[in-house]
Amino acid sequence: MSTSSTASSSTTTQDPSTQSTGSPGAGSGRATRAKKKGRETRTAGTKPTTTIIVTALLVIVALYFLVPVYWVIVNATKSTEDLFGTNGFWFGHTFQLFSNIGDVLTANGGAFPRWAANSLLYSGVGAVFATYFAVAAGYALAKYEFPGRNAIFAFVLGGVLVPGTATALPLFLVFSKIGLTNTYWSVLIPSLLSPFGLFLARIYASAAIPDEILEAGRIDGASEMRIFHTIVLRQLIPAIVTILLFQFVAIWNNYFLPLVMLADEKLYPITLGLNNWRAQTDRLPEFYQLTVGGALLSVIPLAILIIVLQRFWRGGLTEGSVKG
Amino acid sequence: MRSKSAPWVLMAPFLLLFLFTMVVPIIIAIVQSFLTVRRSGLVGEDGAVSHFAGLENYLAALTNQNFTESIARMLLFGVVQVTVMIVASTILALLLESASAKWPGLFRAAYFLPYGIPGVIATILWSFLYVPGLSPIVDVLGWVGIDVDFLGPSIVLWSIANIVTWTYTGYNMLIIIAQLKAIPGDIYEAARIDGAGPLRVVTSIQLPLIRPALMLTIIFSIIGTLQLFAEPQVLSTMSSGINSEYTPNLSAYAYAFQYNDLGMASAEAVIIALAAFILSAAALGISNRLGRKS
Amino acid sequence: MRPLVPRRTALAGGAATAAALAAGLAGCAPTGAGKVNAEAVIPPSDGPVTLTYWAWLKDLQKVADEFNKTQDRITVEAVWIPGGNAGGYAKILSAVAAGGGPDIAQVELRSVPEFALAGALTDLTRYGFAKDEKAFDPGAFAQIKVGDSLWAVPQDTGPGAMFYNKEVLEEELGLTPPKTWDEFRSVAEEVKKAGKTLMTLDPGDGSVLPLWAMQKGSVWFEPKDDTWVLNMADDPTMEMADYWDGVFSDELVSTGYGPFSTPWYAAAGDGKVLSYVGGSWGDALTETVPGGKGKWAVADMPRWEDGYASGGLGGSSAAVLSTSEHPAEALEFLRWMCTDPAGIDAMIENSGIGWSPAADYIGKKRQQPSEFFSGQNYNEEVILPMAEGQSLDWTWAPLMQRIIDRLGDGMLEVVGGGSTFTKMLPQAQEDIAEIMRKIGLKVEIAK
Repeated sequence: MSTSSTASSSTTTQDPSTQSTGSPGAGSGRATRAKKKGRETRTAGTKPTTTIIVTALLVIVALYFLVPVYWVIVNATKSTEDLFGTNGFWFGHTFQLFSNIGDVLTANGGAFPRWAANSLLYSGVGAVFATYFAVAAGYALAKYEFPGRNAIFAFVLGGVLVPGTATALPLFLVFSKIGLTNTYWSVLIPSLLSPFGLFLARIYASAAIPDEILEAGRIDGASEMRIFHTIVLRQLIPAIVTILLFQFVAIWNNYFLPLVMLADEKLYPITLGLNNWRAQTDRLPEFYQLTVGGALLSVIPLAILIIVLQRFWRGGLTEGSVKG
Repeated sequence: MRSKSAPWVLMAPFLLLFLFTMVVPIIIAIVQSFLTVRRSGLVGEDGAVSHFAGLENYLAALTNQNFTESIARMLLFGVVQVTVMIVASTILALLLESASAKWPGLFRAAYFLPYGIPGVIATILWSFLYVPGLSPIVDVLGWVGIDVDFLGPSIVLWSIANIVTWTYTGYNMLIIIAQLKAIPGDIYEAARIDGAGPLRVVTSIQLPLIRPALMLTIIFSIIGTLQLFAEPQVLSTMSSGINSEYTPNLSAYAYAFQYNDLGMASAEAVIIALAAFILSAAALGISNRLGRKS
Repeated sequence: MRPLVPRRTALAGGAATAAALAAGLAGCAPTGAGKVNAEAVIPPSDGPVTLTYWAWLKDLQKVADEFNKTQDRITVEAVWIPGGNAGGYAKILSAVAAGGGPDIAQVELRSVPEFALAGALTDLTRYGFAKDEKAFDPGAFAQIKVGDSLWAVPQDTGPGAMFYNKEVLEEELGLTPPKTWDEFRSVAEEVKKAGKTLMTLDPGDGSVLPLWAMQKGSVWFEPKDDTWVLNMADDPTMEMADYWDGVFSDELVSTGYGPFSTPWYAAAGDGKVLSYVGGSWGDALTETVPGGKGKWAVADMPRWEDGYASGGLGGSSAAVLSTSEHPAEALEFLRWMCTDPAGIDAMIENSGIGWSPAADYIGKKRQQPSEFFSGQNYNEEVILPMAEGQSLDWTWAPLMQRIIDRLGDGMLEVVGGGSTFTKMLPQAQEDIAEIMRKIGLKVEIAK
């Protein structure tokens, strides 16, 4: 594929918010061109009644997506009694959000902050290294001619299709033989691999890195590693950001791997820890409030992150899907 | 000459990890799936030896009614849930990309938000909306005389489907939007010159051109469906409808860690992986055939 | 940088190494009994010892603290885990497979042989536990014994009894609690005529079947040398099955929801469901029936002319895991917890355990009349004779979890009208024999 399509879609990534005004550069070729073309074609889609119906529909769908988040915000302010005694869609008789949050942070000797830190560690360290390894390998597969290159790519692509849970059980056996289970490594090491990242990096690298740059670097006497670290990585930033985010969320959301690998509560990520609290609600009702508060605390930062970073998702994924 | 070793150096960390965390476990699973254990003593206290058992584990897995039912359940789940989700994602993407939508950025963010919430936590949140006594939805439906038990044996599968749809619709929508944005403007222009209406533009331009993105989302959704684990596992303590082999993955997990039968667990894991391959390949095949026809 | 080996060779070599490594690992993967029960016993430690104890008992740490106060050599730390089938067992077994885990874990009595099969338990006869037999309730002790081995320390049991709404059953309907199963039937008919239900069953829960069978006098799983003899379709069992087929076909019990579920509490509070027949731990659960205070009472489990007064449902053990480095100390603590009156009282007070596992101490709190159960001193008057009237021959088989699951599936079939207990139990027995053979055990079906 040509570099021009890369260029056009990378402009797309820059400005998601202006699209509705149809301003040039928003990359929505349709809107821009329709405007140039004339009034009648454009108005076909923007009749006021159509706009109202479409927007109403979108609002209803948005309510669906936001209801659980709304519920957790409202109910994190309640006492356990109000949680059961008052309607879940509105606030209760008491407002004790802050003492609830305080309880969440101090219960079990500060277990929750520890789980949050673990989640950050697994996701942060895992995503950074997984991205670096995937980009290096993807670039090598894209820009070097060597025998076996297609075979390796096909092999790795097969890896994308193998369910992660199918490898987790045997991996547990391997790790238990070498004493790695129930350590930070048992979750970190499998998180360092991102076949999907390699897949994206290879596609992006073959489109975005002209051979001339590499040749110019070689003529200047730069080593291959130096070329990769100084020239290539910079060119691949959009792909790097996408892979990083993708892998971060994938590790953050992972449940099966830590469930299989970890026995010690101190090593738990948030997902496992919070579910442990939820399981205790059967016998100990006070855990309801801890679980709701903990859910609120784990949803809010991620929600903000997702909303802020949402625009970065598109560029890289476009590359992946257009040419994939 | 430098460039001969360079690609291998660049690929080394990735390939080593791939070997260690994918290839080796897969080989182990395959080897293990052909072994069974022979025990002596009432509870194996006098020793246990593994021995080659041919296809015994595979036969046992495929004749294990709970496991085959769990696969059938996931197929039903996949056909309904993946279809609903992909159709919803596509419609939402087309609506947000149409000139009729107001504040598309805002809506896009709202729809995408659940993707950042881990499946376990999403399930905990929804379970509060399912459990009678806690759920305002059950309360509200009760006022109008509808009695639903979201965790009842016949409904709980669709309660799970709802959680999965809620989590991934926005994500799939973003992939489709990205592809829609990549459609060159001249194509729309040509269509307009031909006098194509908005519906025609959707069916003959947008849908065919977002086919690769749709394929990507469908394949990932199929793999995701076969991997279903966290949602039913969390709900199982609240619903009598979820047994320990409710999904193929729960079954493999139960055999490995509850039923003490690693051979069976491995055979099931291999079958799950093969099913993912076959279904993904079938999806690709169907897509290519459709592509050739149009 | 020049590759030292030609790439293709390196690649092929790498793959071969991986395959060899994988095959090696698979070959020596954990299979069956840990070797620990064949190795030398671990002597008691000289210095101070810290034990970890995984259980889903409420406030277990408070019980452990009572023990920690009594001496300064052993410190017990309790860690809460989810209930066995809610993930707790998987957690314990995977920790043991990985060579770690706690010293002590809660294991339901019926799951003890299953844990022994997984190589997760220390055989306590090696640490002199056999001489403690006298200190335990024989009904409890029988359930942790397989052949000659003692695999765990009984922590509580659930002798069967009948908890019923006295006000409605006796005063409103003028009936008396049934003494025999035949009476149970006629009482259930009367209750049904009054538009109420005597009892409900969760059709997916197969664990009531062993309770009924052991009371009738059957021994479903019998160890003979190194072979398990299955007896799930013997005459007593078939008589019991035939009885319940009649009860089910006349719809004399309700199968819409199980006991102690949310709808059950609502119905029990309204006086629509009148009794629960099951483990003695049902008392604590019954006490939360809304507005039930002073209205409920406890009666003997209805019985057969032959067989036993009662059977067991539920109950747990505290097992010393095979990975523990301090089995002697663990046993010392468990002796205190499960036989010393201070330990029993601490467990009743803090953790609300079921029936005491000790031989002659039922707990201080349980020697007085209960306000909820109509002022009845039910523990001494009812539960104690029920506990003493249990079959001591019953042994749990390995893979009990799967067996219970299989029986639950069968019960669903019966409730759905697709089968009967008399047809289902022999089929289940065939399946269970196959399952046990499949994991390498020797099994015979009794003729």
